[in-house]
Amino acid sequence: MNDTRDLTNLTVTDALAALRSGELSCTELVRAFLERIERLEPRLHAFITLTPELALRQAAAADRQYTRARKSGESTPPLLGIPLAVKDLLALAGVRCTCGSRILDNFVPPYSATVVQRLLDAGVVVLGKTNTDEFAMGSSTENSAYGVTRNPWNVKHVPGGSSGGSAAAVAARMTPAALGTDTGGSVRQPASFCGVTGLKPTYGRVSRFGLVAYGSSLDTVGVFARTAADVALLFSHMAGFDPRDATSVDFPLPLPCLDGKTNLKDVRIGVPQEYFIEGIQPEVEGAVKAAITHLEKLGAVVLPISLPHTEYALPVYYLIAPAEASANLARYDGVRFGPRVEAENILDLFCNTRGQLFGAEVKRRIMLGTYALSAGYYDAYYGQAQKVRTLIKQDFEKAFELVDVIAAPVAPSTAFKIGEHADDPLAMYLEDIFTLPANLAGVPGLAFPVGFDYQGLPVGMQLMGAPFGEEMLLRLAHVYQQTTTWHLQTPTGVD
Amino acid sequence: MTEYEAVIGLETHIQLNTTTKIFCSCKADSWFDPPNSNICPVCSGLPGVLPVLNRAVVEKAVLLAAAMHAEIQTESCFDRKNYFYPDLPKGYQISQYDKPLARGGYLDLPLSDGSCRRVRIHKLHVEEDAGKTKNERGRRLIDFNRCGVPLVEMVTAPDLRSADEAAQYLIRLRQLLRWLGVSEADMEKAHLRCDANVSIRPKGADYLNPKTEIKNVNSIDAVRDAIAKEIERQIREVEAGRRIEAWTLEWDEDSGKLRKMRSKETEADYRYFREPDLLTLHIDDAWKNGILKNLPELPLERRQRFMEQYGLPEYDADLLTGERSLSEYFESAVKAYGGDPKRVSNWMMNDVMRMLNESSRTAAQLQLTPEHLAEILKLLDSGTINTSTAKGLLEKVDASGKAPATIVAEEGLAKVSDDSAIRRVCEEVLTENPKEVQSYKGGKVTLIGWFVGQVMRKMGGKADPSLARQILEELLR
Repeated sequence: MNDTRDLTNLTVTDALAALRSGELSCTELVRAFLERIERLEPRLHAFITLTPELALRQAAAADRQYTRARKSGESTPPLLGIPLAVKDLLALAGVRCTCGSRILDNFVPPYSATVVQRLLDAGVVVLGKTNTDEFAMGSSTENSAYGVTRNPWNVKHVPGGSSGGSAAAVAARMTPAALGTDTGGSVRQPASFCGVTGLKPTYGRVSRFGLVAYGSSLDTVGVFARTAADVALLFSHMAGFDPRDATSVDFPLPLPCLDGKTNLKDVRIGVPQEYFIEGIQPEVEGAVKAAITHLEKLGAVVLPISLPHTEYALPVYYLIAPAEASANLARYDGVRFGPRVEAENILDLFCNTRGQLFGAEVKRRIMLGTYALSAGYYDAYYGQAQKVRTLIKQDFEKAFELVDVIAAPVAPSTAFKIGEHADDPLAMYLEDIFTLPANLAGVPGLAFPVGFDYQGLPVGMQLMGAPFGEEMLLRLAHVYQQTTTWHLQTPTGVD
Repeated sequence: MTEYEAVIGLETHIQLNTTTKIFCSCKADSWFDPPNSNICPVCSGLPGVLPVLNRAVVEKAVLLAAAMHAEIQTESCFDRKNYFYPDLPKGYQISQYDKPLARGGYLDLPLSDGSCRRVRIHKLHVEEDAGKTKNERGRRLIDFNRCGVPLVEMVTAPDLRSADEAAQYLIRLRQLLRWLGVSEADMEKAHLRCDANVSIRPKGADYLNPKTEIKNVNSIDAVRDAIAKEIERQIREVEAGRRIEAWTLEWDEDSGKLRKMRSKETEADYRYFREPDLLTLHIDDAWKNGILKNLPELPLERRQRFMEQYGLPEYDADLLTGERSLSEYFESAVKAYGGDPKRVSNWMMNDVMRMLNESSRTAAQLQLTPEHLAEILKLLDSGTINTSTAKGLLEKVDASGKAPATIVAEEGLAKVSDDSAIRRVCEEVLTENPKEVQSYKGGKVTLIGWFVGQVMRKMGGKADPSLARQILEELLR
């Protein structure tokens, strides 16, 4: 396999088979991706930090391990030699972790996130740390202090956010898979904008240790790949209880493999009326409805359902997430790590450091959250938001008594133009209206491509499941992908 | 002149003596360690790390709550208390706000007039400590060792009525903490910290006047002195027709003076909210009962029992229950001795406690066991040894760990009551000291004690002193 173009087209599943058989060396595979990154990075800017030396070192070690195993017959780690990109919000020991912020410009964590460590233990090779909106606050990757990432399908458009770097890198074949984080849609929306498959797991199913906190009660670690089968494989090595995360849940590990069955008989799909509202881009609605019809043809039962408190998800999210963020981001004070803006006294040191090194959106959310928690306002804002969050959660509980999965659009539109919402934070917040409820309820969500709009930009569909129902979502998406070709389309504009 | 009474409430912070910190596995106590040597990414608040609750903290706090007669909550929650300070790494302290570990409770203080003051607490909660900052040569230095050290906070109702009662409360609390083994409770090492809220009112009034808060008091004596000074000041102010303002005062140990730190015009807004990184703390019956299985009889209960069961005076009972291992020592010794408990008490208060004080040990650390003490008392009762031998024996047993009888046999310490042996030594003493014999005969009969002393010295303390005296008197006649 000398054609690098072919190698970067490999899915995780295919690459693993080729590596195991010895038909492909891990070094070849990693070089192919590094070369492609080198070629495309100037146009797309998907990465904040690249780790080619680390990747090649890991690849060489993986090759030795495969050679040894082929001689001795011993087994190899399940993902040995698979290249992976990691969102720059997740710690990888010894590698700079900026979170897209100047305030962590020089921060090198001495520890790895549990999810990163699990994947390293499973054998992955890390290509680099991907771009993100600063502290995951954004829906376009425009809020990164390290420049905007561009959508591989059309570089004038955003890749979505906040895990835009990871989504763009997978879509552009710079990596076969990437980790992202999802607090309000930050895996699903960029997956939809970039035409890849992205999973946001149940809250607590993947450890948050080493994930730099934004909204702690909403934060999850997700994964992007080109197929649901790849996502399922990676997810099976990410999930599981972690003694270092008190909110992680001890639940049986998901299966790494999906069966080839395409019969969806007995699967009940709920379609919530609240997600098909006025203002949604007609092509998005059309593609999602067509996908639902497709699943129905494969045997699924489609039922109209209602999630009546959906309209409150946006205000509830923009009270709870900023409130938690206002405390989570208090530690960036210039005292112990990161750059410091010196001053005469400690208060000015705090103010200068935070004032000069945080971006506008981060400061906006810190102020929102601080206000929502302040004496005299707590009950009306944060306290009330918590009550409504419970109602939203109950909406889902009731719905999952009737159906197995909920199908909906991921976002009201396809990828918008860079700068389109620059002066209108509210319009940007509206990008998340269909993804926020799953975070508030803690349920899993999966986004995958189901079509294109007139500009040739991908349209995604979202499946939401009951808590710990990831396998059901992945199975449906897998069956869909076995019988359609949307996920096989590649962005040609970048080559 | 109006007679005033003080109204005092104490806010105490107690450092629990767990091996590790409250949310990470760093060593908790850093008293002897260099700055920033017991820290990790969790307690120094690096990005992306998470707290995990140390169960030992909960267990010690539950034990204390039960001993304070507080109601242990089956569900309690952790909250973030937000404020910026350089020694607070996360920018918030993980504490408990509206759902504390325990509610209610009290500590009874026996007062000198025989009555008892019940000091109530509203709630008891656990939290993490912050670090320490100090200014040195124009630089601000921070030691994060203390970050994440487990604390219990208890605030009393304004139930104390004098500086002395406030000191008594701390003495009784310290006794209880050590008794339970939940804290070293050393105020000088900040294991036990106290801020005092003080106001005055005409004696017998039922309203509360504006109070001042005294901070930075590092010993029980300092608490007593600072409160006494503040009561005097408030009386002076009121007598002069001035109003008491809600100041925060700082105690300056060196000058023995209170200094105004700040006016308390507005309450700080800590923007408390639930800590999303920790789950609700459930203390079910099984866990609670498992912890309370280890709840010992409390000091005041034991004090009362010692008076009733052993007929000890209040003074003895109080002293012997001052520390748990001492009280256990006493009971074991009484049991082994089988005789008069008051006799055991006397020996303990006079001799054993002196040995403890001189070597700063607790009763549990003595090599001289309660059984040894009982044996020595029995040897004394049977006339085998005399009192001075017995006293010397205490030290010898403690130093060697050997049984008293063994030492008596090895060193030939048994009392000599052989008339002729003593008579021979007495004659020697009189021959060797003709001047003293003359004085005695000249009327200075008090010299008899000196002669006895000489005989005892020559015989290595083994002679029966009353027999020696009898023989000496006879020879000198």
